[in-house]
Amino acid sequence: MTQTVSRDTPMLEVRNLVMNYGTKDGMVSAVEDVSFTLARGDSLGLVGESGCGKTSIALSLIRLLPDNAVVKQGEVILDGENMLELSPEEMRMRRWDDISMVFQGAMNSWNPVYRVGDQIREAIDIHWDEKPTVREANAKIAELFELVGIDPSMMERYPHEFSGGMKQRAVIAMALSCDPKIIIADEPTTALDVIVQEQVLEELRQIQHDLGMSIIYISHDIAVIAEITNHIGVMYAGKLVEYGPTVDVFARPRHPYSWLLLSSTPSVTGPRMKLAPLEGEPPNLLDPPSGCRFHPRCPFATDRCVAEEPPMEDIVEGHRLACWNHDQVPTTAKETE
Amino acid sequence: MTDVRDTDMMGAEVLDESLWKIRMRLLWRSFKRNWALFSQSKMGVVGVVIVGFFGFLAILHPILMATAWKGQEAIYDPVIGADSVIVEKTVVTEVTDPSTEMSFTEAMITGEFFPEEGMIIEVPIAPAPPNAKHLLGTDPFGRDIFSQLMFGARAAFILGVIAATSAVVLATVVGSVAAYYGGWMDTWLMRQADLILLLPLLPLLIVIGSFWEIGLWQLGILIGILSGLGATAIILKSQALSVKVKPFNDAARVAGGGNRHIIVRHIIPNVLPLSFLFMMFEVTGAIFLEATLSFFGLLSIPMSWGIMINTSHTQGYTLFGLRAWWLLFPAGLAVTLFAAGFFLIGRAMDVVVNPRLRTR
Amino acid sequence: MVRFIGKRLLQMGLLFIVFLTILFFLLNAQPGDISQQFVGNPDIPPEAKEILRARLGLDQPLFFQYLNYVKNVLTLNLGQSFDHFPRPVSEILLQALPRTLYLFLTATLLSYLVGFQTGKLVAWKRDTPIERFTMVGSIILYTVFYPWFAILMLWFFGSKLGLFPLGKFLDPEKWFDSPYTANQVFNMMLLSALVAAILVGAVYWFTHKIVEPKPRQRARRLLLALVAIGMVVFWMVSPMSQYAADIAYHTILPVTTLTLVFYAAITLLTRSSMLETLREDYIFTARAKGVPEKVIRDRHAARNALLPVTTSFVLSIAAVIGGGIVTESIFSWPGLGLTLLNAVTAEDIPVAMGALAFIGFLALVAHLIADILYAVLDPRIRVES
Repeated sequence: MTQTVSRDTPMLEVRNLVMNYGTKDGMVSAVEDVSFTLARGDSLGLVGESGCGKTSIALSLIRLLPDNAVVKQGEVILDGENMLELSPEEMRMRRWDDISMVFQGAMNSWNPVYRVGDQIREAIDIHWDEKPTVREANAKIAELFELVGIDPSMMERYPHEFSGGMKQRAVIAMALSCDPKIIIADEPTTALDVIVQEQVLEELRQIQHDLGMSIIYISHDIAVIAEITNHIGVMYAGKLVEYGPTVDVFARPRHPYSWLLLSSTPSVTGPRMKLAPLEGEPPNLLDPPSGCRFHPRCPFATDRCVAEEPPMEDIVEGHRLACWNHDQVPTTAKETE
Repeated sequence: MTDVRDTDMMGAEVLDESLWKIRMRLLWRSFKRNWALFSQSKMGVVGVVIVGFFGFLAILHPILMATAWKGQEAIYDPVIGADSVIVEKTVVTEVTDPSTEMSFTEAMITGEFFPEEGMIIEVPIAPAPPNAKHLLGTDPFGRDIFSQLMFGARAAFILGVIAATSAVVLATVVGSVAAYYGGWMDTWLMRQADLILLLPLLPLLIVIGSFWEIGLWQLGILIGILSGLGATAIILKSQALSVKVKPFNDAARVAGGGNRHIIVRHIIPNVLPLSFLFMMFEVTGAIFLEATLSFFGLLSIPMSWGIMINTSHTQGYTLFGLRAWWLLFPAGLAVTLFAAGFFLIGRAMDVVVNPRLRTR
Repeated sequence: MVRFIGKRLLQMGLLFIVFLTILFFLLNAQPGDISQQFVGNPDIPPEAKEILRARLGLDQPLFFQYLNYVKNVLTLNLGQSFDHFPRPVSEILLQALPRTLYLFLTATLLSYLVGFQTGKLVAWKRDTPIERFTMVGSIILYTVFYPWFAILMLWFFGSKLGLFPLGKFLDPEKWFDSPYTANQVFNMMLLSALVAAILVGAVYWFTHKIVEPKPRQRARRLLLALVAIGMVVFWMVSPMSQYAADIAYHTILPVTTLTLVFYAAITLLTRSSMLETLREDYIFTARAKGVPEKVIRDRHAARNALLPVTTSFVLSIAAVIGGGIVTESIFSWPGLGLTLLNAVTAEDIPVAMGALAFIGFLALVAHLIADILYAVLDPRIRVES
C-alpha cells in the first residue's frame, strides 16, 4: 500500500454518511449525514443514548450491516480509499486487517467449540501477508496474551474456561492480532463488572499508547469516553450534534444535548451537585422531528429549531456543533432544585 | 384506608360491567391478536383447513347414517356392512382387460358351466372401484370405503383428543411441580422421564397389544401417560423453570400465596400456551402410533384408517398401487393429511408462543 | 472424559435393569401367566403340572422369579421358542440382530449425513425457491404415514418399475450352490464395515497430532485413500463378493425408504438449529474477522448447529426403531422387528420378550453412543473447567 498520506491528513474520513433500515413500517433513518475524521494514533469517542446510531456507524465502517440496512450516501475514506466502493471480497480481506473490533458481548463473541488460540489464529491465517506456520502464529498469540495480561498457556483453552474479563481481554488480543489501523471498541466494558471494567479500559489505553493505533470508542457512558479519548462525537437520533477535542467538550459543552448529558452524569472530580435527569424519550426515527431533531426535548428550543435544521459548523477551530442557540447554553452544569 | 366509601364507589363505577364480560373481551382480543400472528404462516392456515375438513367428515358420518343411509346399515356400516357390486363381464379367450373381460375358466368358477365366447356374465366384485353407490368403492370385503373413511376420522379425533389431553395435563402438572419444588421431586420425575424416553415405544406397545385387548381409549390413555411423563414433561419443565424465576411468583408469595396457589395460579397458566402447542404435536404422534399398531392388526378397534390399510395389505392388495387406488390411497392419505394438519398447526403456533421465532 | 463415560455406562446398566423389571412385570401381569402355555392343558394330571411348574421355577416367590429372570437375560439364557421349538431364543435373536443393526446403522448414518448437509444449505439459502421446495418436501416426507409410504415405495420401485426385488433378504436362485450361508456373508460384510470404521478412526486419531494443517491434510487423504483401496481390493478378491452383492442389492430399497423419512426429519431439525445459530454473536465475530462466508457456514455455524441435532438423536432412537420394525415387516426383512411381530402373532412369548429385551438393549447402547458423541462435540461437557 502506498503510504504517501502525510501524518496531518486524517487517516479515516467519514463524509456525509446516511444509513437507513428498511422495516415493514417504513424507513428508519438510523444515521443521518454524519461526518468526522480520525487521525493516526488518535482516539475518538462516540456517545449517545442507545439507538442513536453509534453502533450503526461502526457497522457501516466495516460494512457488516444487517440485510435490511442500506447506506444511502456518503464516503468512508481510509488512507485515500473509499471503503464503500470496494467489492465484497476486497472488503472481507480488509476487515480485521485494517479495521478490527472489540465487541459489546465478549461472553458470546467466542465460538464455544473451538480453542481461543485457534480462533485468533483463524484471523491471522486469513490476513497476514504470508501465511504463518502454526508455530509462528502461536508465538504471536502468546505475545499478545502477555500484552493483555493473560497467561499464554490459556490459548489452548476453550472459551468456557475463561472468565468474563479474560474473554474480553482475549478479544482485545484478537483485535490486535493483525496490526489493524483502527480498532472499533463497541461498548467494550458494558458487560463486565466495575473493577474489571477499569482494568480493561486501562489496558486498552496503554496498548493504544504503546502501539500507536487509532481507536474508536463507542459508549453510552460519557464518563468512560472522557477517560480514554482525545476526541469526542456526541450523537443524537442518528445525527452527530457536537464534535471536538474531549477536553474542550467536557470543559464547556456547547450543544444543549451534550450539556444535559454531562449534567446527568456524576463526576467524581468536579464540584458536588445534584444530577439533572434528561427528560423525555428519544424520537421515533421512522418519523423524525422536523428541523433540529432534539427540539422536542430541548430547553432552549425556538421556532427556528422546529422549522430549520441547524448545520454542523465550526465554533472554535476543531470544535463543531449543530445548534441555532448554542450561545444560550450555560457554561456550568444544569442545577436542579 | 380513610376513604373506603370513595374507593368503593370508584370500584362500582369501573365494574359496571361484570367481570366475566371483561375477561371474555380480553380473551377475544388476545385471540384476535394471536390469530393475526398465526395466520401469517400460510402452512398453519393450511393445517386448520385440513383439520376442519376431517372434522366435517367425522360429523358427516353419523348424520349420513341417520338420514341418507338410514335402513341401509347392512350396506353402509363401516364394519359389518357389505355390498356386492355387480359388474358385467364378457367371456373371451384372451383376457386383455380384467375389469370387463373374463376367461373361460373364470366363468366356470362363477357358476356358468358352459361359457361361450362373447357371453355376458354378471359377477359380484369386491373390492369394487368407485361408483355412484360407493363414492370411493368398496374394500376386499365389500364394505364402503367412504363410510370407513368418515368413521376413521371420528376414531382419529377421539384418539387424538384423549392422548393429547391426558399427555399435556400430566406433563403440565409434572413439569410445573418438578420445576417448582426442585430437589428430590425434580430428580425423581426427570429420571423417570429419561427412562420413559428410552423405552422403545412401538415394540413395547406391540407386546402389550398382544397380551391385552387394547381399544381406542386404552391406547389414548397409554400414549398420554407415556408421553406425558416422558418427553413432553421434560420440555414443559424447562418452560416452567423459566416461569418460576419471574418476579410475580415472589410477589404472590409475599402476598401470602401458598405453594399450591402459586403453581395453579401463576406457573401453570404461563406454561399453558406451550402445553397447548404440544397438544398439536401429541395428536400427530398418537395417530401415527394407532395407525401403525392397527396396520399390524394388534388393536381391538372396530375400524380405523390403519385397519383399512391392514385389510388391503393382508388381503393381498399391497402391490396393486394405482390399479386399486381406492384401497390404499384414501386411508394412507387420510392418516398423512390428518397428522400433517396438526403438525402444521403446531409449527404455526410455535411462532405465536415463541416470539424468538418471529421473522423481522 | 473417561470418568464421564464410566458414569454413563453405570447409568445405562441401571437403566437396563429397570427396563428388565418392567418387562418382568409385563410378563407377570399378562392374563394367564406364561406357564399356561404348558400347564394350562387340562389333560395333564395335577401332579405332572406341579412338577412342571417347579421345573419352570414358577412355584418360587415372585421376587426369586424376578432375580432369576434378570440373571437369565443377562446371561443370554432366554429359553426356547414355542413356535420353533426347541430352538433357543437367543440363537434366533442373535441371527436376526446383525440384520437389524445393519438397517438401523445405515439408515441412521445416511439420514444424518445427508439431512444435516441439506438442512445446513437450506438454512443458508433462506427465502429462496430452493428452500421452500425442500421445506415442503421435507414436511410431506416427515408427516407421511410411514407404512403406507413403504408400501408405495415397494409398489413403485419394486413392482411398477421393477428396479428392486420385492422384499426378502436374498435371491434363493443365486444362492443355490453357495458354499456360504447368508449369515456368514452378511457378517463378513458387517465385519469389514466395522474394520473400515476403526481404521478411519485410527487415521484421524494418529494424524491429529500433526500440528501444521497442510501436512496433516495430506497424511489424512493418503491414509484414507489407502483404507478405501484396501476395502475395494478385499471385496474384489473375496469369493463371497457375488453373494454380498446380492444381499446389498436387496437392502437398497428398504434402507432408502427408512432413510428418506428420517432424512426429512433431520433436514427440518438442522434448518431450525442452523437458523438459531446464525443469530449468535460469534457468527458476527467471524464475519468481522473477514472469515469467508463458506467457512462461516461450515466451520462456525454448522459445527454448533450440530449440537442440538445430536441431542435429538436420543429422542429419535425410539422412532428409528419403530420405523425399522415397519420396514422389516413390509420388506420381509428377517431382523429383530419381524421376529418380534411374528412371535407376537404366533403367541411365542419367550421370543417376543427376548426380542423386546434385545431392542431395549440396542436403544440403550445407541443412547450411550449419542451421549459420548455429544461430549466429544461439545467442549463445555468434555472439558470440565
